[in-house]
Amino acid sequence: MSDSILMTTLDEAMNWGTGKSLWPFTFGLACCAIEMMSAMGSDYDWARFGSDVFRDSPRHSDLMIVSGTVTKKMAPRIRRLYDQMAFPKFVISMGACASAGGPYVRGYSVVDGVDQVVPVDVYVYGCPPRPEALIQALKQLQDRIVAGKVKH
Amino acid sequence: MIQVESESVGKDGTKIVYVPKENLLEFMKEKKEEGFDMLLMVTGVDYRDHLEVVYHLLSTSTGNRIVVKTKTEGEVDSVTSLWKGADWHERETWDLVGIKFRGHPNLKRILLAEGWVGHPLRKDYPMDKKQYVNLAEDGEDTVSFDPSEGY
Repeated sequence: MSDSILMTTLDEAMNWGTGKSLWPFTFGLACCAIEMMSAMGSDYDWARFGSDVFRDSPRHSDLMIVSGTVTKKMAPRIRRLYDQMAFPKFVISMGACASAGGPYVRGYSVVDGVDQVVPVDVYVYGCPPRPEALIQALKQLQDRIVAGKVKH
Repeated sequence: MIQVESESVGKDGTKIVYVPKENLLEFMKEKKEEGFDMLLMVTGVDYRDHLEVVYHLLSTSTGNRIVVKTKTEGEVDSVTSLWKGADWHERETWDLVGIKFRGHPNLKRILLAEGWVGHPLRKDYPMDKKQYVNLAEDGEDTVSFDPSEGY
């Protein structure tokens, strides 16, 4: 059934719609959040790519940008917020800290990468990454969603 | 005049005073009456053989600063009765360096999860023994040495 022309076309349309209307979740953990705010601000204006307003509730959003250091105290809360998000949901791990612990990798209070807490779709390197890098990650994620390569 | 251990002047001209821990609260009261109306910060240092608590005071009318230090084995009097702002600073010092403040209204951890074992800025803190934090149903943090029980 799913191989029929109708379903394939519908899936593509769904994927296209999902990719072009990502609603990010306001989720700043550290200095990366400043670059994230810059990316959404008027200079870089990533509303151009269809990922418009940052939502304040996990119920309203489908893209979690983990921007900053994930402390051990914050990690279970991230998991809880991720579980509260409705499907389909995607995660961008922004910066060295969220991706692998960054400079705090041997610290007593920091998780070595947010991928130990939630599944990550796109990693962005940098400390912190520039807004262009975040926009590139968003574009990559969108392209993969539209192509149907992200499965959740 | 309250007994002090020693006085010196720092590189930037700030007066540094060592006070015995028995006279600390009395000394601070005197300083507050002298016009040091703002407590800039409280912190602790581990020198292996003893701990030190460091207070930075500022007089907002004259701009004068003074640094007060106290050697201790791990317990000093709280100065929250003089400066309300000392509350969180002392909680942080308790959390990370493990200095007990007598008379503090709410001395519990401020940064790390409640139930954390040890104080991480102590020199003898075991860095290889990782602790893992999780969230219980009632919203309280739980701490465990077992990696499967937390993050």
